[in-house]
Amino acid sequence: MATVAAAEVPGPAGARAPPPAVIWSIVVLGLSAGSLSFLFALTSDHVREPGLQAALMDWVTLPYILGGLVAWWRRPDSRFGILMILAGFAMFVSNLAWTNVPVLHTIGQACDLLPAALLLHLFLAYPTGRIERAFDRALVLFAYVTALGLELVGMLLGGFGENNILEITSEPRAAELLLQAQLLTLSACALTGVAILALRRRGEPRPPRRSVELLTDSFLLALVMIALLFTAGAFDAPGFETIRRATLVVLGLTPIAFLSGLLGAHLARSAVGELFVELRSNPAPADLRDALAHALRDPSLELAYWLPQFGSYVDVAGRVATPPDDDARRRTTLIVREGERVAALVHDPILDDEPELLDAVTAAAGIALENGRLHAEIGARLEELRGSRARVLDAGQQERQRLERNLHDGAQQRLIALSLELGLLEARLDSDPTARLRLKRARREIALSLEELRAVARGIHPAVVSAHGLGVALEQLAARAAVPVRLTVELEDRLPERLEVAAFYVVSESLANIGKHAHASAATIGVTRENQQVVVEIVDDGVGGADTEHGSGLRGLADRVEALDGTFRIWTSLGTGTRVRAELPCG
Amino acid sequence: MRVAIAEDSVLLREGLVRLLADAGSDVVAQCGTGDELLDEVRKSPPDVVIVDIRLPPTHNDEGMRAALEIRQRHPTVGVLVLSQYVELGLAMKLLAESAEGVGYLLKDRIGDVDDFLGAVRRVAGGGSALDPIIVSTLLSRRRADDPLEHLTPREREVLELMATGSSNQGIADRLVITVRAVEKYVSSIFDKLELPSSGSESRRVLAVLMFLRA
Repeated sequence: MATVAAAEVPGPAGARAPPPAVIWSIVVLGLSAGSLSFLFALTSDHVREPGLQAALMDWVTLPYILGGLVAWWRRPDSRFGILMILAGFAMFVSNLAWTNVPVLHTIGQACDLLPAALLLHLFLAYPTGRIERAFDRALVLFAYVTALGLELVGMLLGGFGENNILEITSEPRAAELLLQAQLLTLSACALTGVAILALRRRGEPRPPRRSVELLTDSFLLALVMIALLFTAGAFDAPGFETIRRATLVVLGLTPIAFLSGLLGAHLARSAVGELFVELRSNPAPADLRDALAHALRDPSLELAYWLPQFGSYVDVAGRVATPPDDDARRRTTLIVREGERVAALVHDPILDDEPELLDAVTAAAGIALENGRLHAEIGARLEELRGSRARVLDAGQQERQRLERNLHDGAQQRLIALSLELGLLEARLDSDPTARLRLKRARREIALSLEELRAVARGIHPAVVSAHGLGVALEQLAARAAVPVRLTVELEDRLPERLEVAAFYVVSESLANIGKHAHASAATIGVTRENQQVVVEIVDDGVGGADTEHGSGLRGLADRVEALDGTFRIWTSLGTGTRVRAELPCG
Repeated sequence: MRVAIAEDSVLLREGLVRLLADAGSDVVAQCGTGDELLDEVRKSPPDVVIVDIRLPPTHNDEGMRAALEIRQRHPTVGVLVLSQYVELGLAMKLLAESAEGVGYLLKDRIGDVDDFLGAVRRVAGGGSALDPIIVSTLLSRRRADDPLEHLTPREREVLELMATGSSNQGIADRLVITVRAVEKYVSSIFDKLELPSSGSESRRVLAVLMFLRA
């Protein structure tokens, strides 16, 4: 997980950028190497068309060294730049073979094929400078051994002319065969590299950016040219020299493609300017993500705000949204303002190559991000409130259920048993009419107590709803109503208990209101399931003008329904009756 | 009379057993759950079962389900459901197809020993016993054009007793009139409500209930 300090001035991130002394030394060394190549070529006794040769070599060497330097400076985290510089200097070293000085010539000759292995290494190590897969590593190592090790063996056998001071025996035929094998092996390595890169590109989750695509194309072309060149060399093909020149031209293109990619990232900052303009119009928090995605050219971008009070990330609506762990497809970058974590961007790993862009974009979005976070925080608080309201309601309902159950199992059963006991006693007291009468009276008292208890229990919790469902419970309500009621319940299955209880209360309270205030001549109750919700509707033809604010249980009903994420609405106007409608979501 | 009982309150169960034994009935099974009752009935069907509507394990509708299952599988066994609440909707479920050999009473009625035993006997004998609260709920129900208004107070009383499942003799005893007088009232009620006069007492319970509920 990377961290971006949005308040900082955008610039190269990280502390390991090369110091200026190193940079300038490399520049000087590189330019000297370029000039020396000309010197070696022009003074050589065995180089044909020395000017052209030296120019072609410098066309490759200098861009690698200078391009590598820029890459190292811009992306100190990546080893890619250093590898490029090494490749550039390796090519220069191989130019030493042009000199007439035996020692230098020998060193140059020994390194003749080394650049091919280094280039393979470089291409496979893009973009981090490290090779991740074991197979790729083995391939590169094999190429190094072939390029350098076998070359030395060939030189020991006396190949490569007279200035070779490593010669211990003269076996020109063997040396020639060895060189042939070496060239063919290296061209096989190059072609394997082509296959690896092509497969890697096909495995990408989404098409890479144009600049990356261009760079990969240049890698592929360079490797194909190397393979072609070495194969031609192995068989002494007639057009060898032409192929060599073409290969050098192609090799010089890679650093240019690389630099143009960097420049493209630089140009992307114009998108930051657009972002500024866009943000000035104060977009809705929900649109901020889109604006950032556009500026970063990453449609898959996700934005999560950090809420320290909640200790979690949330989306713009305040719902918990934990960023995924970094993997090959997603990276998370934290946005920090004034030392405080504000948000996290979940983005395509490709943006790792453009930390400046990420910096610039998050800096530009600073205030908007703060706004977005406030918005998300309000959302989170609402969400929390909604959750706690539902929990309070649930807890209340469970408590009521428990109370009702206690009444039922305790006092009510005992009273009934007592009444039965008295009844049995009464049956045995044929002879004493006074005692009988008093027992009868006592039983009547018990009956009254039971009736009162039943009313209390029903008020605490409508057990019949939990036990037998809404349809059964509403039947009794409708029959008991003060006005003729037409009841329609269209439910195939039982609903979650909290919904049934809420719907029951909606109907029972509405019918009570109709009885008390509506002066209606009839009412209808409808319970239906529409899509993912239960709709409860009570309509009367009374005088209307129901009081939705004071006293009447309507406010409480609205609370109950809204606590279940439902909606509660009343249409009431004088003279046209009242319609109460509750919609309860039932996933 | 062979009776099986399903009631999870020990206190009440023992009271019921004593009540029935005193009346000379044979309590052949005492169960705490609906499943036990179903097993007992399967093994040796009694004349009548007395079921608490609220039984373990969940105390929701286990008793009701056991009652409905016995009604369906053992039509000869009378089913008397006891409950601490009486609900029109449940009465309609129990009497969905017929009112023969079925009863639904508030638990409180146990204290009226004679009436209760009478109801148990009626249900055992294929008759019905419906709690007066159900009937009064139906009778008090508001109707736009109420045909019950045409009944005389006496006819209303007879209708009420008839709907609870009382026999003509029972109604005559209760109202202290002759059975012939009851018969006259009954036919007059059926005329006024434009109901086809039906034969058995339990069939006329259903007819009246359906009429009242409509």
